This record gives sequence, structure tokens and C-alpha cells, in this order.
Amino acid sequence: MLGRTLVTFGRTVVLAAAVAGVPGVAAGQSTGAAQDYTAPRTPDGQPDLQGFWSNQTYTSLERPDGVTAAYYTPEEVAARVSGAAMRESSQTVPGTIPDVHYDFTQFGLDRSQSPRAENLRTSLIVDPSDGKIPPVNAEGQRRAAERADAQERLGGRWDSAESNQLDDRCIMMVPAGPPMMNSGYNSNYHIVQAPGYVMILAEMIHDARVVPLDDRDAPAAGLSQWVGLSRGHWEGETLVVESSNFNAKNPFRGSSERMTVTERFTRVADDRIDYRFTVNDPGTWDQPWTAEMPMQRSRGPLFEFACHEGNYGLYNTLVGARLEEQQAAEAAEQVRGR
Amino acid sequence: MAVTLAVSCVAATVPMSAQTADYRAPRGPDGNPDLNGLWQALNSAHWDVEPHGAGPSVVRDLGALSAVPAGLGVVVDDVIPYTADALVQRDENRANRLRRDPAIKCYLPGVPRGMYMPFPVQILQSQQHIMILHEFAGAVRTVYMDDHVPAPADSWMGWSNGHWEGETLVIDTTGFNGMTWFDRSGNFHSEALHVVERLTRRSPETLSYEVTIEDPNVFTRPWTMQMPLYRRVEENAQLLEFRCVEFVEDLIYGHLRKQPQE
Amino acid sequence: MRAVTCATVAIGVLLMGTSASTHHAFSAEFDVAKPLELTGTLVKWEMINPHSWFHIDIEDDAGAVVTWRIEGGSPNELIRNGVTKNTLTIGSELTIEGYYAKDGSAKGVGRNFLVAGGERLFLGGSAPPVAPAAPE
Repeated sequence: MLGRTLVTFGRTVVLAAAVAGVPGVAAGQSTGAAQDYTAPRTPDGQPDLQGFWSNQTYTSLERPDGVTAAYYTPEEVAARVSGAAMRESSQTVPGTIPDVHYDFTQFGLDRSQSPRAENLRTSLIVDPSDGKIPPVNAEGQRRAAERADAQERLGGRWDSAESNQLDDRCIMMVPAGPPMMNSGYNSNYHIVQAPGYVMILAEMIHDARVVPLDDRDAPAAGLSQWVGLSRGHWEGETLVVESSNFNAKNPFRGSSERMTVTERFTRVADDRIDYRFTVNDPGTWDQPWTAEMPMQRSRGPLFEFACHEGNYGLYNTLVGARLEEQQAAEAAEQVRGR
Repeated sequence: MAVTLAVSCVAATVPMSAQTADYRAPRGPDGNPDLNGLWQALNSAHWDVEPHGAGPSVVRDLGALSAVPAGLGVVVDDVIPYTADALVQRDENRANRLRRDPAIKCYLPGVPRGMYMPFPVQILQSQQHIMILHEFAGAVRTVYMDDHVPAPADSWMGWSNGHWEGETLVIDTTGFNGMTWFDRSGNFHSEALHVVERLTRRSPETLSYEVTIEDPNVFTRPWTMQMPLYRRVEENAQLLEFRCVEFVEDLIYGHLRKQPQE
Repeated sequence: MRAVTCATVAIGVLLMGTSASTHHAFSAEFDVAKPLELTGTLVKWEMINPHSWFHIDIEDDAGAVVTWRIEGGSPNELIRNGVTKNTLTIGSELTIEGYYAKDGSAKGVGRNFLVAGGERLFLGGSAPPVAPAAPE
């Protein structure tokens, strides 16, 4: 009873998705071009962005080397995606590092098992037109070297909690942004609107960004946050969100505290929001750059992603690392003792 | 409702003023009473929900700034009706609170503790979902206003189903993992906790917050807490970041830090 | 070669769940040289994040029962698929293929979770068929 229903259910989900074409993708616009769609309104008259959305994608931020076209053909996308889906659901090789992990497919955590917006672009970056992040300027390179030194001074990855990655520490993950990037799984958002506010809740790590829609000034320079401080306004059908005051402890692509991000959200279909962001940081790049990352209607709930509270992994890893060092030290002692 | 309770109980809890009975909140655009805004409790319930005198800090070096302020209590009938065994557990919690209080480790505060911690709470109201967002640890509660289902799994902040009863938002929450406390004094519950909250606008700048606690594993009967919540009226008031995980890493993991080799 | 900053590494970890960095974290906790295959009865499935934990009672050679804790995936997508804390039957038999924890405790990571009959748990059914290759 335990397994049979679920496995059947699992197969049905996977097969049905495959039969529909590219698994998990709904037909939609591949560009942000306007068409005969006007979003319904919230009771207070805002264009309605509410609901559950996924920004999962196979499109890389930068155009892959060797690719010059701005768009793939639908057939190329289908082939790329189904190839990736096959690799994701196939078994890893026993005795190799990738095999030391739960299989994502069983838990529905493959990228191919997530709703994704159709996107024929060869890169999320749309400006510059080569689809690449602009070169890092001299100040940015100096800062990158300083950060690398600081990281090295923290020691090896398993030396302490603080020397670990931010996601392993359960401090924050990339979907929070801004700008909001996709994660490997659970790349979902819940948008709720109230008079004067838009809330964007990222599933991991229950990161709720509340965007006020009034004319408030940019926040005081002395107050900075991991996710910066956001304020927004409507330009017709598009929500424009300006963010600044980043503390740069989780620097987006090597950026500085001077980074500002402008995000634009436009509902272009019942099941699609076009999301576009521009990054501006004279401390790192000599020009701003822009990417588009459409969001596909997903479903809820966004079950509580209490990460730090259940972070046995970090604890166990540190215990294991100290134990290994102790064992190595004892073994060395024994050798010396002979 | 709050007025009725104040009259009929012989309680040391401070009854709220009679303005509740006369005040009718503006409607939100969804036609329901408007609870939108930033709200915060102004009492010492987060220290101890029962009536208590002032007391010393458990952290000597913080002296008077971490000493416990007195409180008239927010528990209707003053005393939480623990079972005999549970009272022993509560007292053990209290004696060991520096080590045991989950909020010290930046764990999500649970319900109702998150509502009266000394941090603002933002209510964002839409027809299908009412969000209750906490500055403390960035805790999030989603209150489902339709399509009510039971909790799919247990969590720190529980699973909340809400509905309107006239002027009152009633939130019914279950699916707790049993790992949170009600305050800094060891008052606790199990995973069988069932919380019913009633939020009613009582004036332009205050909310009446009444919460009934039920947990047959711990208490002999249901019991109720009651307090006003105050609107944060500063222009541009907003929730700020209190991303406390990095503040507690040394506390939790410091003993596992790699020591310098000789 | 760009200097590897914290941000670059963090993004790399989560962009594709199969990146080396993610598995390196797991392979620091669990031993790639110590594969396990255990069969026991399900006592509890802790549906928590960032990873769920299956508690399995396993009888050792001496006949003593030990409760093992086996790490699995986030339950969040399963919950969206209708799975709840009542879905798995307590007391049902599970076979775990995975790896032992490095610290020698009764702990491991489950690669595959197999129900009686050998099928993989939840959505671990057969891989989706391959779409036709793109025309040249």
C-alpha cells in the first residue's frame, strides 16, 4: 500500500509532463512583448501579480561560449531540456561523490519536475547584447582579491560554521535576491498584495520582501541589509522596484555596497510574469547590465523552509571534520611512537 | 468581547478600555475590517506571560539591562493550568532557560510568542491570504482564508486557517512541532498545541489580541491570553532585517571550531 | 580565471543541484567509501528542511533494534504534490541504499529509498522518455 500508489502517481506525473512536450513548461511568451493581455486588478486597483510563481529555468545567466545567436529554436530547447531531464533522473555512479546524496527525483526536486516559463533565449542577460556580464573594472578586481584573501584567512570550508557557504549556514539563498535568481529546486515565490504594498516571499529561506509603494526617500546610508532596502511604484502595468543599501555580505556576482538594482514585474499572461532586472554598480562594472527571467505560475503551498532550525548537516559535518582530524592526529602520534 | 471578559473575571490582567465596543474599523478594499499595518506589543509578556515581579538577569555582565521587568501578566485567570508533570517540566525549563530557550538560538518563535516579542509584526491582508510577518528572525506566517486543509506537516510557526467573524479575524492554528516556548520563562507546550487567535480593531491605533491555548498533553484545560497590540505610527515604519543566525553561530557551533595546531 | 568569491560559489551550489560543491558538503558528512544497504521499518519521517530525515528501526546481528536516521530531500515539492505526514505508513518496510555517516553513528544519507517490491519512493519512477533529437 505504501509504495504502489505513490509510484504510480509518480510515473503518471512524469509521463504526463513528457507527453505534453517539454516537461514542466507551459506555452507562453518568449519575449516581454506586449499583447492583448491586461492583468486583473486587486481590490485596491493594482495590477494583480498575486499567486505562486516559479522562476526555475535551464537558461544560463550568461550566453554559453560558442553560442552567438540570441535565441535557440524551439527544437534546440526541447533537446537541451529533455537531455538535462534524462541526466537529472538517471542514477549516479556508486562510489562517486555525486552519489553521496539523496536522489532528487524521488522528492520531486529535479529541475525538470518544476514548472518553468518558456524561454528561447540563449542567456538571461539581454544587455549587453553579447549576453555576458560586463568586464569587472579595476576596483572590482581589487575587491575580489581582498575577498578571496579574507575567505582564505577564515580557513578551510569545514574549519568553522563561519567559513562555510551562506546556504550551508542557512543564512540566505540566491532566490531572495534582489535580483532574484533561481535555485536548483524549490525556486518558488508567493506574491501577496495589500494597499500600498507588494510582498514577494521566496520559499528558501522564507525570505519575505515587503515593497512599499509610496514616495518614500531612499533609506539613510547608515542602514544596510543583506537584501538591501526596496521601494516600488507602478508604471502602468509594470511594478518597478528600486533597491539599494546592500551590506554586500552576500555580494551578487562580486558587487559592492554601492550596487543598486531595478526590477520590473509585468504580468503578461494568466500564467506568466515577465521579470527583468538591471544591476548598476560603478564599483564593479563600468556599465549597468540587464537580464530577463520570466516567472511561471506554480502552485502552493510554500511549506515553512525553517533551515537553521533543522540544520543537522552543518553540525554533523563539523563534528565529522573534527573527528577526522583527531583520528589523523592520533595515527600520526602512533607512527611517531614507533 | 474583551470588555465582557474584563467584567466577568476576577483577574489581575489589565482590562482594555471600553472603546472596543464603540469602534468600527474602516473596511479594507476587500470589504473586510482592515488589519493592515505594523503592530507591536508593549508589555513584558515576552519575558513571562504570567504575573511576575522584577528579577535579576541570567547574564550577569548585562546587569540591569537584561534584568526581568515586572508584569501584571497577560494570562486571563493569571495562572497557566499545567498538569502536575508539566509544571515540573516548566520549572525545569525556567531553571535552565539560558541553555534551553529556543529563541536564544534564533529559532523561529512560534505562535503566539512571535506576536508579543519586542519586534514589530506586519499584517498584509489580501482576500485569499493574510500574511503575518515578523521582524524577529524573518519569521513568516501564511493565514489561509479559503481552501482550508489540515496541516500537511509540522512546523515552527504552525499551519493557520483563518476566517472572519464580524469584526474579528479568527485564526485557527495547528501542526506545531512542539519545540517553541511561550516566553523566556520556560512556559511551553507539546506538538498537540492548538491555538485560536482573535484579532479585532479596537481603535485607530490599537488591536485587541486574544489567544486561546489548548494542549491536552500539557494543560488541564484551555486557557487564554489577552493584550492590546499598538500600531507603529512613524512615517515610513517598516520591518527591518533581524537575520539572527549569524549572531548565534559561535554560540551553537563554536565548540566545533578547528583549533590551531601546535 | 576569475577569483572565486563567496557569492560565485554560493550561486554555483544551488543553480544545479548536482554541482560538485553541493555534493562536497554531503561527502564531508557521509563517507563515499562506506556504502550502506539497510532494511528496516519506518518509525518516523521528519518532514523538515533543509533536508528531511527518515527514522528507521533496524535489527542488528545480535537482534537488538537500533533506530537509524537517514537523510533525505526537502519535503516541500512533495507537499505540493499532496504528500502529508500521513502518507507514509508507520511500520512499513523501507530499504535504504546510501552511505554511512563519517562519525560512525547510526546515521546515513539515503541515495535511493525502496519500498517493498523494490520500487523507489514517491516520484522515483522510471525516467521520462527522451524527446526526439533536434533536426540538423
